Amino acid sequence: MGELEQAVLDALWDADGPSSGREVHACLEGRDLAYTTVMTVLDRLVAKDVVVRERDGRAFRYAPRLGRAAMTAELMREALEATGADRDQALVSFVGEASAEDLAALRRALADLT
Amino acid sequence: MLTPLVLGALAVALAGPLPRALSRWTGLRRTPSAAMLLWQSTALAAVLAALGAGLSLATDRLWLAPVAVGDVVVAALAGLVTVVVAARLLLSGHRTGTALRRMRRAHRARVDLVARTDGGVSVLEHDLPVAYCVPGMTGSRIVVSRPTLTRLAPEELAAVLEHERSHLRARHDLVLEAFAVLHRAFPRWVASGSARREVEVLVEVLADRAACRTGDRRALVSALLELADSPAPAGALGSAGSLAARVEVLRDTRPHRAQALLVLALAAAILALPTLLVVLPWLAGLR
Repeated sequence: MGELEQAVLDALWDADGPSSGREVHACLEGRDLAYTTVMTVLDRLVAKDVVVRERDGRAFRYAPRLGRAAMTAELMREALEATGADRDQALVSFVGEASAEDLAALRRALADLT
Repeated sequence: MLTPLVLGALAVALAGPLPRALSRWTGLRRTPSAAMLLWQSTALAAVLAALGAGLSLATDRLWLAPVAVGDVVVAALAGLVTVVVAARLLLSGHRTGTALRRMRRAHRARVDLVARTDGGVSVLEHDLPVAYCVPGMTGSRIVVSRPTLTRLAPEELAAVLEHERSHLRARHDLVLEAFAVLHRAFPRWVASGSARREVEVLVEVLADRAACRTGDRRALVSALLELADSPAPAGALGSAGSLAARVEVLRDTRPHRAQALLVLALAAAILALPTLLVVLPWLAGLR
């Protein structure tokens, strides 16, 4: 299901503006999906607050809440904030902020190991 | 009357002076597994001693007839303090736990939508090199950004990934969560801040060790340097100051068996001795 959600979101990102369910379905025609499946995935993405929908006559049009780059930037910001000192470490980072002394210690260690 | 006094003194010692002394003993990090056990047993023993002190004071006053009004008042106060301590811990545990899980779930869902997976690793397209893991019961993720893949040599990348995998395997998130809960519950009059900072260093040291076991130490150090030396945006602060400590432990390859044994013995004693010598006689006396 995750892979399908990614494909639907990719289709919305590549589209010029808000798309109808039919248009998204047409974009993914190579995958041989039922129209109802595409609608289910779209509703799920709306529930996850990744996609926003607006009423257009009797149907809805769907658009990503954030562009691909903006969503990546949001994740990066969360990753950098959540791993800071005195945070709850929701995410565990390989390396946090480094001071000048930290870098000097690393360079010395690397020189000794060579 | 002796039991509540001993347990109370023990709780105070384990909550303040001992954690402060341990956090000053930087050599403790050379035996990280034993040190981790010592920190956990100290924290657990402090909580148990504090709860035991309150409960035993209450029972001391109520179990032996005749019970005066003053005894009831003292017992009620002791009981109240005990309930408050327990409630603060439970509330803090609930709040911290739900907030962490909600944040991780939301983060993981968006990583799955925006990242490409490559060899079991989620890759984000972004200019800043990062490597981190999203722990979780129902599915964890290791996330890196594109520059991490392109700038690191294969053996450096392997070391980074092994470091992250070891965090996930050893469930370091649960240890960090427990100490975060403790710190939230008693932020001031307990040395929970220094305990938490030290445990944060220790999980990194342990993951570094795990990465060195399967790979090359030099690759890990050069990967640390490569990723640490990249400019992070303002406000994006990591665990400052822990890096030099990690490097110091990485440089030290000597085994420290005597210290490890000593620290393990201390960890066991802190939990076992008060239980055997104070708590069991008190409980036996209640019958």
